[in-house]
Amino acid sequence: MKLHGKGRVLPGIAALAAGAFALASPLAAQEKLTIATFGGSFLDAVKSCHIPVFEKATGAAVETVLGNSVQHAASVRAMGASSDYDVVYIDDSAAMQLKAENLLHPLDRAVLASAEELDPRAFGPDDAFVVFMTGATAIAYNPEMVETPPSSWRDLFDEAYKGQVAIGDVTGTAGWQFLLAVNRMEGGSPEDVTPGIDAIRPLAQDAVVQYTQADQLLALFARGEVAMAPWYPDRAGSAADEGLPIAIAYPEEGAVGIRPTLLIPEGSSQKELAAAFVDTVLSKEVQECFAETKYAGPINLRAELSEKAAAIVPNGATLESLWFLDPAVTSAQLPGWIDRWQREVAR
Amino acid sequence: MSGPFKGVGLASPLLLVLLGLFLAPVLLMLPQSLHEYIPGTGTSEAWTLQNYTRLLTDDYYREIIGRTLWMGSLVTFLCFLLGYPLAYFMARTTPAWRAAATLLVIFPLFLNLVVRSFGWITLLANRGVVNNLLMDIGLIDSPIKMLFNMTGLVIGLTHIYLPFMVLMLLTAIQNVPRDVEQAAATLAASKLRIFFTITLPLTAPGILAGSILVFVLTISALVTPRLLGGPAYKVMATLIYDEFMQKLDWPSGTSFAFILTAITLLIIWGAGRVARKWSGGLA
Repeated sequence: MKLHGKGRVLPGIAALAAGAFALASPLAAQEKLTIATFGGSFLDAVKSCHIPVFEKATGAAVETVLGNSVQHAASVRAMGASSDYDVVYIDDSAAMQLKAENLLHPLDRAVLASAEELDPRAFGPDDAFVVFMTGATAIAYNPEMVETPPSSWRDLFDEAYKGQVAIGDVTGTAGWQFLLAVNRMEGGSPEDVTPGIDAIRPLAQDAVVQYTQADQLLALFARGEVAMAPWYPDRAGSAADEGLPIAIAYPEEGAVGIRPTLLIPEGSSQKELAAAFVDTVLSKEVQECFAETKYAGPINLRAELSEKAAAIVPNGATLESLWFLDPAVTSAQLPGWIDRWQREVAR
Repeated sequence: MSGPFKGVGLASPLLLVLLGLFLAPVLLMLPQSLHEYIPGTGTSEAWTLQNYTRLLTDDYYREIIGRTLWMGSLVTFLCFLLGYPLAYFMARTTPAWRAAATLLVIFPLFLNLVVRSFGWITLLANRGVVNNLLMDIGLIDSPIKMLFNMTGLVIGLTHIYLPFMVLMLLTAIQNVPRDVEQAAATLAASKLRIFFTITLPLTAPGILAGSILVFVLTISALVTPRLLGGPAYKVMATLIYDEFMQKLDWPSGTSFAFILTAITLLIIWGAGRVARKWSGGLA
């Protein structure tokens, strides 16, 4: 960074002066957009791909608030008619819940320049939210401990790796999605998760950890305590880039699709600027940037992937085989799954 | 103004703040707890008591309530057991020693709660300092599980709330008139007898105040149980947090919060009655 270069001094003074004026007249203040997003390596990618492009295009400043999807949903609900958040990154199930409670401002496709280029399934009902990437819950494994890459969810139950498997707590996406994947494999349905609960109970007792934060796994993989875990390809890709012994495998039964969305709360006071931010995230170049740095499956169909990213993100055959759950079903059933897990698996 | 009204007048600024900024918002939550939360749609309009009855009929919730109260009792008892000798020493030693000891007792309070709880994780984990040491010197073969169960919670919370108990006891012991003890000694009472029949009953108000403080703080603690209890080993406070922040079921969370408050008030009231009997009307 050349913050102290010659060319920076004058604008710097100008900014200071502008700041001084801003104190006197609120009209001159720089516009500020608050986004609620996810932490860890996800935030790093947001800061390198989403925010700078937007700030450069609009001159507005972006502030970030961190949390997971449910925490964001709770905040949006609590703030109601006057939301501090202007754009929220949130999973589709929590987005559906907020939509049902009439807390969202519908997106206007006419002002989104890239709307035409998106996968037609990207927009939620009544355009209440838009999917901005495709992720997945797949199997992360340590190639130094697992010789043949896992090919099925069943491999996590292999006797050879007993006590070396980590699973996610049900309150995290990978947790309940793994429960549903195993449940489907065992013949259950979203309305009846008994087969999944019964299958996971012994696995959970032997698990190294039931992680509640995705990045809890990093240290465990680094120390060789975990051989396999249901996890996210994007996180695993970022971790592998940092030299951790971690690789990703897509189970033959189909990995579970994750569709993180962007939405604008009805209570936001910056709806136009918020729409501009959403548009930035959906544009071809930014989607490519996010795919390469964060290994996020692009939703903009014009985005092109490098060979390295194509091996990790869901695309082509792996995208075809992804199992997408109906967010209306998951948002209605999730508290029930959490209840059963807490009573029968974690207890 | 005179008589009882003078007291009300003196207390009214604080009273107004508490009523307006604490009690009113809490009561505003009451209607919330009387609706059913339907996942996928939201909070229903119909009135129901099921959020309260469920807590008493479901054995999962009963277990958590029982665990919370047991944890509160254990921590209070341990704080008393560890705190009384220390407070006694501090009350009877020289002023210089007292100042030094007070500083040491208060010092942990300067450290952030999260940092202190993480410190315990480092110590108590399966591959933590304590287990590694015990295994290295050959006392145990496999790690003792001290985290994500009652042991970890009680150790962590006792450490955190001990200063409150000690400070309460210190004032109480300092207030015991020494001449009463000397009078007993003149009448040939043994030191042990003086302690159990004079000093201990005279410090009952302090013991009670310290115990209530520690008990209430313990059963409502959130950060330490979340860190040392993990996602599965829940107490009331973490259960309430999860209902609000993970299941988005605010009506259930609110009703659990009211039940926790009711239990707390009941215990404070009961403890007050017991102590009044024990100390012969002094408390």
